[in-house]
Amino acid sequence: MPKVHINGKEIEVAEGTRLIDAFLQNQEEIAHYCYHPGLSVAGVCRLCMVEIEGNPRPQIACNTIVQDGMKVTNKSESIKESVKWVLDFHLINHPLDCPICDQAGECELQEQYMKFGQYDPEMGERKVKKRKVVDLGSKIVLDTERCILCSRCVRFTDEVTKTKELGIFNRGDHAEIGTFEDKPLNNNYAVNTVDICPVGALTSKDFRFKQRVWYLQDKETICPGCSTGCSVKAYYNEKGYFRLKPAFNEDNNGYWMCDEGRALYRHANKEERLLQAQVKADDGSSHMAPGAATKKLAAEIQGLDKQKVAVVVTGQYTNEEYDQLISEWLKPAAIQQVYHWKNKEDEWGDFDGLLLRRDRNPNSKGLQDRLQKASLVNDWSQLEKNLEAGQVDCLVVIGPEIQAYYDDMQDKLKLFQKAKKVIWLSSNPVENLVADYHIPMKTYLEKDGTFVNYSGKEQKIQKMQNIVSQALSLSDFAYLIAGKEIPLTGAAS
Amino acid sequence: MAVQYLTEHYDDKDFVSLKGYKAKGGYKDLEKAFKLKPKEIIEMVKASGLRGRGGAGFPTGVKWSFLPDNGEERFLLCNADEGEPGTFKDRLMMEKAPHQLIEGMLISAFAINSKKSYIYIRGEYEYVAVILEKALKEAYDAGLLGKNILGSGFDHDMDVYRGAGAYICGEETGMISSLEGLKGQPKLKPPFPAIKGYLGKPTIVNNVETLAAVKYVIRDGVDAFRKYGTEKSAGTKLFSVSGDVQKPGNYEVPLGYPLKDLIEKECGGLLPGRKLKAVIPGGSSAPVLNAEEAYRATMDYECLAEMGSMLGSGAVIIIDDSNCMVDLLHVILHFYHHESCGQCTPCREGTGWIEKLSRKIVSGSGRLQDIDLLDKVAQNMKGRTICALSDAAALPTISFVAKFRDEFEFFVREGRSKVKGNIYAQSAH
Repeated sequence: MPKVHINGKEIEVAEGTRLIDAFLQNQEEIAHYCYHPGLSVAGVCRLCMVEIEGNPRPQIACNTIVQDGMKVTNKSESIKESVKWVLDFHLINHPLDCPICDQAGECELQEQYMKFGQYDPEMGERKVKKRKVVDLGSKIVLDTERCILCSRCVRFTDEVTKTKELGIFNRGDHAEIGTFEDKPLNNNYAVNTVDICPVGALTSKDFRFKQRVWYLQDKETICPGCSTGCSVKAYYNEKGYFRLKPAFNEDNNGYWMCDEGRALYRHANKEERLLQAQVKADDGSSHMAPGAATKKLAAEIQGLDKQKVAVVVTGQYTNEEYDQLISEWLKPAAIQQVYHWKNKEDEWGDFDGLLLRRDRNPNSKGLQDRLQKASLVNDWSQLEKNLEAGQVDCLVVIGPEIQAYYDDMQDKLKLFQKAKKVIWLSSNPVENLVADYHIPMKTYLEKDGTFVNYSGKEQKIQKMQNIVSQALSLSDFAYLIAGKEIPLTGAAS
Repeated sequence: MAVQYLTEHYDDKDFVSLKGYKAKGGYKDLEKAFKLKPKEIIEMVKASGLRGRGGAGFPTGVKWSFLPDNGEERFLLCNADEGEPGTFKDRLMMEKAPHQLIEGMLISAFAINSKKSYIYIRGEYEYVAVILEKALKEAYDAGLLGKNILGSGFDHDMDVYRGAGAYICGEETGMISSLEGLKGQPKLKPPFPAIKGYLGKPTIVNNVETLAAVKYVIRDGVDAFRKYGTEKSAGTKLFSVSGDVQKPGNYEVPLGYPLKDLIEKECGGLLPGRKLKAVIPGGSSAPVLNAEEAYRATMDYECLAEMGSMLGSGAVIIIDDSNCMVDLLHVILHFYHHESCGQCTPCREGTGWIEKLSRKIVSGSGRLQDIDLLDKVAQNMKGRTICALSDAAALPTISFVAKFRDEFEFFVREGRSKVKGNIYAQSAH
């Protein structure tokens, strides 16, 4: 493997490594805008200048492949001066409207100016005027004055989605990013361009002006939107969750995620949630605390014939929750009638070629494995038969967290109605649901655990903050329905 | 003394047709070339010392030898974009002797084993493109293009491709992008076109004059070709002389010819009562020479490089004492600002910035520090970009400010031109 000296440090890198990656992998600072490891090299921002011993001219690190014995520095005075000037060139026509720019706080212009710039600007001429607030489609707004023409977004639509909606129009300092006529940027991966935009040129309609980014914290988790299980970061504060962004995961989603997945923070916020358990009473329905409602339910079903208790499970809960469900309730209570609700199973193999899979459950595999191990695999038609025959006294539906993906929801509601008693578990209200008990559950952002993705890879989700503090995890429910107390620490999350 | 080597038969009106061209021995050198091995031709071109006539002056044979020996299809592109302000020699060559170019290209294509070539001609040369297209048809009809040319077993197809007038499409990789149907923007190097060029295949891009000159290397042999020129600048060169001389035009002289003679003998000297102030010796991107330097200069690659300028495309712009250097620089910068492709930040932003600074000075509202800033910005645009357009704007700026600083300072102090007075306040570009 080639060895390279970077600013005096000897570093070994893999064959064919780009010099800029050798810098970044070894925590050596190097200014850059246009380079993105998930895209081809454009070499246009001209910031990643380095001096290579034996080469009279400064070179850009992004278009240089490391060769054994190379001695490279970007700490010489002339390189530092070059970088300052190139930064200045980036900023002379930039509007510097940080106070009203949504990117402020996570803007590469701000960050790299503080690291590599800090010069006294000498530009006193009038700036080039360009289009502002350009609507690129249903999701993205463009400000061409802020754009530094790094071309990352254009390369993304050319190379990753291959949809080619974006182009650079015009030339010189009048050049602008834009879409072609009648071809808005609406593909299902479009918002990735907002993430990779180093400045405030592309902003997401969903997120812009909602929060200043410095009021947000973030944690990494797994997107629950399909069986791919992309690594994502959720951004939140005490007011709730505000956005999801992809987190780099080399073996799974790389640098990207789909736009459908990005919406999966909204259902976790308070205004969308089921806050209290709804319990059917003679005079309509009453609200109860979730725990108390479950305890009441436990008492009610204790006497029932276990052959007539059926449980429907969806693949949207964690392995740990399924384990507790089985070991704390189903097994001890000898409940055999367990059914895996698979929406459109015959299409589960469908894949959009990039990330999105038709199996819209993050943990179908984890659930299947556990039901199999516990010998609880039953044919769905059996449930239908039992329901038709009036053989189900109590049906517990561990419903999907992301209901929108279950397009058979209304049909299933009608089917389930045939049980004498319907218990529904979900984090959000369900349209047209008539249930004896509707128990509010935690969302994936409120618990720790693991999902198994389509390829069998087990990945961790983590708790960020509770929105509905009384909501139950499936583990909590398992303890309570089995007539036990929720352990204070340990597996229950 | 001016020579008529490449331009020998340019006065003959029939030379433009295949018949007229053949009457003067045309295509005999192609037959000669077919009797040689391609490698021998490359070695001859190397030994002849022929250097690229388009601007960079890179040794042609050496460029050819960069082609990888991997069996891939190869392309030959003739750069007839001729966009460098002040240059009009390729136009003359194509207009007067299209078959000379075609023959030179065929010999070159045979040498580098290319089966397809394009002549990329600037869109403004529409009537020249028509001449070329007619000549190509004649050549096809006579079996000089197509399959098994002159029974040699060598196949070659040639096409004319018209550009749309962007300066940047004269840069070889910008031309390749344009030919590929993309926006005319230079490509990142490496890889160089000889390795990965047109459609990702090995490609050689040569100027019109270079390709035409190849014919003469074959016709006369290395030693005879080297009879003209200097050790490092072999052969003759066409210079497009424009500006304040009695007889502007294209002149073929041996390389190493004194600039003073070119002005005074060939071009009939300056206009009456005028004094030489400056010369831009190689197209508007070449650093300017002052009168003293100009009178010492010889027109070859090495002398002009030593003086900090360059031979470039051979566009010699003569500037006498009636011109305002501040205004001239502004015109040059307006051009480069307009033509910057906008890929690389220093060029995209820098060309605009220095044009604004020069406009400010020309319109009478400049400050003394703007003169230093012009120089500073230009210094930092230099050598930082994918192609040489940034340098093309920076180098004149640096040399104009260094050599004619008094005119810039006068303009700033007095708010008017030292030479032309107060005529710019309204008419600034």
